[in-house]
Amino acid sequence: MRFVLRRLGFFVVTLWAAVTLNFLIPRLMPGNAVIAMMSRFKGHVNPNAMHALEIAFGVDNHQSFVSAYFTYLGNIARGDFGTSLTFFPDSVSHQVFQALPWTLGLVGVTTILAFVLGTLIGLVGAWRRGGVLDGLLPPIFVITSAFPYFWLALLAIWLFSIKLGWFPESGGYDTATTVGWTWTFAVDVVRHSILPALTILLTAIGGWILTMRNNTITVLTEDYVRMARAKGLKPWRIMWTYAGRNAILPNLVGFAMSLGFVVGGAILVEFVFNYPGVGWMFLQSVENQDYALMQGLFLMITVAVLVAILAADVATAALDPRTRERS
Amino acid sequence: MKRVLVLLLAVALTAAACGGHKSSAGKKGAVTISNEQGTTWTCGFNPFNSDVNFLSAGTVYEQLTFVNGLKSGQTTNWLASSYKWSNANKTLSFTIRKGVKWTDGKPLTAADVLFTFNLIKKFPALDLNASWAVLKSVTQKGDQIVVEFKTAAVPYFYYIADQTPIVPQHIWSKIANPVTYKDPHPTGSGPFKMASCSPQVIKYQKNSGYWQKGKPTIETVYYPAFTSNDPANQQLASGKAQWGSQFIPNIKAFYLNKSKNNHYWFPPTVNVSVFINLTDPILKDVAVRKAMAYAIDRQKVAEVGEYGYEPASNQTGIVTPTFASWLDPTLAKQVTYNPQKAIAILQAAGYKKKGDLFYTPDGKPLSFTMINIGGYSDWVASAQIVQQNLKAIGIKITPENLSSTTYDADNYSGKFQLSYNGNLSGGPAPYYELRQLLYSKNSAPIGKNASTNWERYINPAVDKLIDSYAATADPAKQHEIVRRLQKAMVTDIPVIPVTEGVDWYQYNTKDITGWVTEQNPYAQPAAYVYPDWAVVLMNLKPKT
Repeated sequence: MRFVLRRLGFFVVTLWAAVTLNFLIPRLMPGNAVIAMMSRFKGHVNPNAMHALEIAFGVDNHQSFVSAYFTYLGNIARGDFGTSLTFFPDSVSHQVFQALPWTLGLVGVTTILAFVLGTLIGLVGAWRRGGVLDGLLPPIFVITSAFPYFWLALLAIWLFSIKLGWFPESGGYDTATTVGWTWTFAVDVVRHSILPALTILLTAIGGWILTMRNNTITVLTEDYVRMARAKGLKPWRIMWTYAGRNAILPNLVGFAMSLGFVVGGAILVEFVFNYPGVGWMFLQSVENQDYALMQGLFLMITVAVLVAILAADVATAALDPRTRERS
Repeated sequence: MKRVLVLLLAVALTAAACGGHKSSAGKKGAVTISNEQGTTWTCGFNPFNSDVNFLSAGTVYEQLTFVNGLKSGQTTNWLASSYKWSNANKTLSFTIRKGVKWTDGKPLTAADVLFTFNLIKKFPALDLNASWAVLKSVTQKGDQIVVEFKTAAVPYFYYIADQTPIVPQHIWSKIANPVTYKDPHPTGSGPFKMASCSPQVIKYQKNSGYWQKGKPTIETVYYPAFTSNDPANQQLASGKAQWGSQFIPNIKAFYLNKSKNNHYWFPPTVNVSVFINLTDPILKDVAVRKAMAYAIDRQKVAEVGEYGYEPASNQTGIVTPTFASWLDPTLAKQVTYNPQKAIAILQAAGYKKKGDLFYTPDGKPLSFTMINIGGYSDWVASAQIVQQNLKAIGIKITPENLSSTTYDADNYSGKFQLSYNGNLSGGPAPYYELRQLLYSKNSAPIGKNASTNWERYINPAVDKLIDSYAATADPAKQHEIVRRLQKAMVTDIPVIPVTEGVDWYQYNTKDITGWVTEQNPYAQPAAYVYPDWAVVLMNLKPKT
């Protein structure tokens, strides 16, 4: 219990530091939101609109730095992230919650899949070292992981959507389908997610395989594994509860962190596949000096990563009694 | 324009896409637009929100008069059945058309027009063209709307009549804060109704009760949101989208060769120029600027830097062929590519060449930085040619490729020596761009934001010319004024126009006819130009 409380205390301090940095960093950037907005129009708008924008965005009424900080803290405590300037006059929360399901669906599912598959392949590969599976899958996936993501994605688009025409090349769903909780729409969404998911999987899985395989090999040389063999336990039981349980520990924190980063989206994926999501929104908020949106997104990622790490700490404590004893 | 990464991806795609593929043509009577805006839709349609107004101005909300920028501002009566200037061009009266209905069935009247102008007066944040800076009053007399200007204001007709979307009073008068109003279900008078919207696609449906009988013939318009250039180009190449408005690298291989029905036309509208900071101690000297103007090989920049998509400019600042009737050909021929002459000018002005570089009489080298947007790979390539050209005569240029935000901030505040820039909006006649460039009221001291006169050109004689244009509706006088402005461009060289920025426009004729062509430029053909895009959509016809 004390362990959990200490971790919670640490969590709160980190959160405060993150929230404060979150406030400071965007304000150190040059330019302001109105100029950023004007540059996005590339001259399609009357230059006099600058004045109109300044009034609309309220950038002309200057607030002191300190009072802005406290207003910001108060707003965050209430869950009010303000109005996005990129998507003016929409609220930040509305925009984020509109994009988040796409990101969670695609990046979340593929991150979990990559971890589960990678861990399994790594574990089995290490268990049957030199076998057919071990000789084939780890090298392949380690190579695919080394590919630059956009190159792999473009290759997939070229092969599967342009040459073969199996999958659509971009978007989250076909623009001519009606959005709703219908079977056709669901099928359409899944069809559109296959290529992005496949490419993410291909680039993400290798790391998990490699680390899990190496961890398992180390664990397999431990005395307790030899002991288990000597006791005559069934091989699959040794693999799962002796080797697997111990070998997965170092990967758990890594997995927790990547889960936390899921809410940050995948900018390259969204860029290449024109896939709706948070990652691209992130890029936009930075380009447009949209403090409100930037802060909302940063905060969401920070909190998600911190919560995930907290959960990983607790899970590690549950799986590995040694981490509990020192506290 | 595009970003470097996009170009990279696009080139890869071009190489990749050299094969057959399934073409999934749209349904009969449907048009899909492919126009990369780098954003998903907010599903807001407020026509006074400069971020989204191109999605409702023209199609949903209409203007009083349509002004065609490709025909030097030729007008077509729209919600106003006629207009008239009087009182030495200080009074403009519109007669509002009868029989026009909002899509909710209520009639559109002069009261709605009056309400709209009062609305943008009451909320300056909605007044995107700063109309009320020149307006004195707007009043209604029956079906007449009388617009009074503070001074003669002929060029402002474009902003009042063409760029101000008319909204229904019975809906907008109930909105407490129209500045933050999203307008998710717009009620307009235009040829299309917004039928449904998601962050990824907007669907417009034909307004069957539209006041122009028999129009539009297109049933549905799909407007997908593209956050990057490649998928948008891919949809055009595959024929899934019929109307494109963006940059396509190697358009021949990637687009034209894909189908005999694919076409493009890039009408030039505004110059891309080297802006020269006139407050710089060396660049202040007109001889240096003139030498640079002679040294730049505009033709080469257009061909190599801009893939031949953008034609070469001339020093007068008149974009041709779009505004060819305004051009003074003798002035245009005065400053052309001639490096020998450039060197001679510098020598005559007392500059000395030591080694590869010219120096001022007091020993300072002619070496300048030129800011540019690093993400616009065509501008970066163009600037490199400018750099080589100037190096050849002994002027050193150091390019600084910035993020667009930093770049814009530097242009506005005057923190540059040279700036490669094509960000002016221009207008339906050359006057608009020249005014943005040369009018001292668009300038500001260094450190303060100048709206468009970034080079800080201040010349009272030119100001007077610009003011006098506003007072005349006589084409002959207007041409004479613009001719004299061209003279100022050629003698003072405040900026060096290099290439002519274009409207990006691609179209597919497989199922649809009636597109804008070079022979029939009835509206600006890029889907992001409003209200022109509605005029294009109204003229499209499904093939039977």
